[in-house]
Amino acid sequence: MAAPAADPVPAGGRVLRPRPPAARLPDKALRVGLAILASLLVVLIAFFFIQLAIEAAPAFEREGIIGFVFKNDWNVSKDSFGALPLLIGTLITSGVALVIGVPVAVATAVYSTELAPRRIRSPLTVIVELLAAVPSVVYGLWGIFFLAPHLKGVEQWFANTFSFIPFIGGGLVTVPNYFVAGLVLAIMILPIVSAISRETMSSVPANHKEAALALGATRWEMIRMAVLPYSRVGIVGGAMLGLGRAIGEAIAVAILIGNSPVLGKHLFGQGYSLAAVIANEFGEAQGLHRSALFASGVVLFVLTFAVYAFARALVARAARAESSGAAAAADTVAGA
Amino acid sequence: MLALSLALGACGSSSTSSSSSSTSSSNSAAVSGAGSTFAAPVYQQWASEIPGYTLNYQAVGSGAGITSLESKTVDFGASDPPLKPEDEAAIAKNGSPAVQIPMFFGAITVSYKVNGVKSGLKLDGKTIAEIFEGKITKWNAPQIAALNPGTSLPATTITVIHRSDSSGTTAGFTAFLASQSPEFKAKVGEGKTVQWPVGTGAKGNAGVAGAIEQTEGAIGYVEQAYALEHKFTYASVKNVDGVYVEPTLASTTAAAEGVEVPANLGIKVKDPKGQNAYPITSQTFIVVNKDLCKAGIPGGEGAAKGVAKLLEYGLGAGQNVLAKADYAKLPPSILEKSKAAAEKLECNGSQLKA
Amino acid sequence: MSTSPLAAYGVAARRRRTDQFVRGLIVAATVLAMIPLALILYYLLLKGLGAISWNFLTTDPSGNTFFGAANIGGIRSALVGSLLIVGLASLISIPIGVAVALWLVEYGRKSALARAVRFFVDILTGVPAIVFGLFIYILFVEGTGYAGYKGSLALVLLMLPIVIRSAEVIFELVPIELRESALALGAPRWRTIARVTLPTALPGLMTGVLLAIARAAGETAPLLFTAGSTMKTTVNLGSFMNSLPVQIYNDVTSPTPAVEQRAWGTALTLVVLILLLNVAARFASRRSRLG
Repeated sequence: MAAPAADPVPAGGRVLRPRPPAARLPDKALRVGLAILASLLVVLIAFFFIQLAIEAAPAFEREGIIGFVFKNDWNVSKDSFGALPLLIGTLITSGVALVIGVPVAVATAVYSTELAPRRIRSPLTVIVELLAAVPSVVYGLWGIFFLAPHLKGVEQWFANTFSFIPFIGGGLVTVPNYFVAGLVLAIMILPIVSAISRETMSSVPANHKEAALALGATRWEMIRMAVLPYSRVGIVGGAMLGLGRAIGEAIAVAILIGNSPVLGKHLFGQGYSLAAVIANEFGEAQGLHRSALFASGVVLFVLTFAVYAFARALVARAARAESSGAAAAADTVAGA
Repeated sequence: MLALSLALGACGSSSTSSSSSSTSSSNSAAVSGAGSTFAAPVYQQWASEIPGYTLNYQAVGSGAGITSLESKTVDFGASDPPLKPEDEAAIAKNGSPAVQIPMFFGAITVSYKVNGVKSGLKLDGKTIAEIFEGKITKWNAPQIAALNPGTSLPATTITVIHRSDSSGTTAGFTAFLASQSPEFKAKVGEGKTVQWPVGTGAKGNAGVAGAIEQTEGAIGYVEQAYALEHKFTYASVKNVDGVYVEPTLASTTAAAEGVEVPANLGIKVKDPKGQNAYPITSQTFIVVNKDLCKAGIPGGEGAAKGVAKLLEYGLGAGQNVLAKADYAKLPPSILEKSKAAAEKLECNGSQLKA
Repeated sequence: MSTSPLAAYGVAARRRRTDQFVRGLIVAATVLAMIPLALILYYLLLKGLGAISWNFLTTDPSGNTFFGAANIGGIRSALVGSLLIVGLASLISIPIGVAVALWLVEYGRKSALARAVRFFVDILTGVPAIVFGLFIYILFVEGTGYAGYKGSLALVLLMLPIVIRSAEVIFELVPIELRESALALGAPRWRTIARVTLPTALPGLMTGVLLAIARAAGETAPLLFTAGSTMKTTVNLGSFMNSLPVQIYNDVTSPTPAVEQRAWGTALTLVVLILLLNVAARFASRRSRLG
């Protein structure tokens, strides 16, 4: 990042006065002001987590932190709170959402920026973003009353045909299940992943793309060489926001996952998730139960952070690996 | 956006708030309540029938409703299950003892969708327990056939649908099953949330109802109002007297008649006696402090008067509205006790009832 | 497309086929993405269009739900409430979010504070909406009372991570050459930001902002425990305030079919509202870019 303008170089022989200290005040004020704002934000968010940890404490005390996270028994009427089935459920549904949602979203973004005729680009954008306007509860209800029943037959066929694959195949297919919850989550995260990917892709410098084409690349090769690597950070950023949404979505998942606190053995069977349990049980929860729900929230936070840290590490490693590769060559050729 | 909303608000405010200038009592104060989702439509209906009345009701669930009352966030609470001793103590901490007033009843139907089987399939508690435990898996099982000679039952698999969210409906249903089957009580237990051995979880009455409608061979427990409004087929359940009774409004009120009423009015419909009693019935309460103003409710004196007005209407003309809404009214014996409790409510020592 | 020009340059058939295949895949995926939207809209229209009327938009919901569909009222208080609550939340979260993102890209960079900010904002992204509502409830509502602005506060917490993360990506994309040219010309940092960085980033920022608003407008749980629910239209953000998602929630649980239909009509209204906002925002930005 360029340093703030210091003493300028004389131009054409004329001596330019350095800016008086007073004129630097707005810059300083801006920098300090923004830094204060950012710090306040950190304090606010830390306070938020501390508050919630306080509410969660009784449950953690009762079960022990490891006990709470890894015990496989969420049974309210017997006062037992082990969140393992919930954790597994969150991982499965978010996993499905990412695996299905991100590629489709990126494809939509690629189409919208590179392949679509100019005139339909804007309407296409509006249409995809319309998916973001649908409230979560509508996704849940549409999913359970329309999508899930229609999918049951296909899911059953799939489970039967591929029954030799563990987890994906075999087992009883129920109408609400991990897969359909993950699928609807994928639809819900489509707009945000697509929008951010699209914004990133549309800022790829034209000369990068033209260089690739000039070298004889096909359309797809150009996209692969010039657009995607440049957009990687944006795509990952969008995917992380989508992942956050998928991990934290409570109502839609509560409607679609079957709400059965068991360790999922089958993709097309019922399960439960950390966010869904909060949505389902908070209204009637008191005392230890309420605390256990907050504790589920805490587990969610830690999970989110762990996944993000992992994703960031992956991206950093990929960036380093590539920095000495073709991207650098393309850069040179493109004259950047 | 702000401009648009202000415009909308203005264009309507002429036709809105009949600003309370109607009846004598100072009912322009708004009353806030929180709790039972089951009772929500009824309280809103009653409030809409009292001229100039404003009710802000939060249907957050019985548990959250009681907690809200304990923390003085709302003027009254609404709960389906009777108060636990710890809740009574917590509410009393605000400076005045807790009073729970039974308002009306609702039945829990055992609804199903089986081709060719009409409403009124005879089931008893033990059989229902076995179905929901997963021990009976087909509709033409001998246990069901034995209770229903003469009805042809298909060999369809039974799909159990239960509630996935915590609810008083689950509490009422499991309480019934636990009292009818010691095995169910040991294996599943009772409460607002239980671990069901089989079946699919659906969210809310609407979810269960929807799931039943969509699945051939499904069976689930649904609130009476829902089942009646959507014209479900439901079972006739055997009561203590050995009679198979359908969940009608009359049979629900009859069940309440035989109920033992403790001193604090915390009734629970368990094993109701009477030929016409429907055995799976549950109650709902309005919970307040005896001296609302002393307890420091957020709405103050105006709201205290408002709560009294709601109770007065609900226990009076409101009881007749219930039938139209497919809820069951209080039997005379309990109605008397509720009215007496409502009349004893005070504001800073002076009786609230006009 | 892939026949004459590429063939003329002797592009190997295999590469051409890969190109065609992948492009086909991309188009298929895009079409696939459109299908759920079409299905959802169809479903919404099917279930909710019947509820919509002028009356629906200009009358308050009434508690009188058991004596005929004509008496149940409309959703005016929810409409006004949502506009106010989401409006206030946007007014707070957008400037703060953009400012923090700006700081992250321009000043914070890889400093310890910036890493802390990113860490905390990241985790905030995964928090379920209901937890924001509960946080505000425990701190501000329990014992004090429900209020519309408290609902806005919960929504601010929901919107901030979306605005910050997306704005950060966008600011990173502003070409460094543009910034450097301005600075080389002697412009102070703040002027560069105001005249070069922000305007360039504006279209992208708007995308992120619109997504955040759409998300906030549709979430029930944060508002259920903070702004609460009421039936009367009010513009007083310090008291109970109805909102579209809470209205949906209340209606969906009702046993009366007409009320259930109103829930779908409300959902349809919400989607249309966001669509209008999107279209209006894009139209405005295009005008300003040309001008």
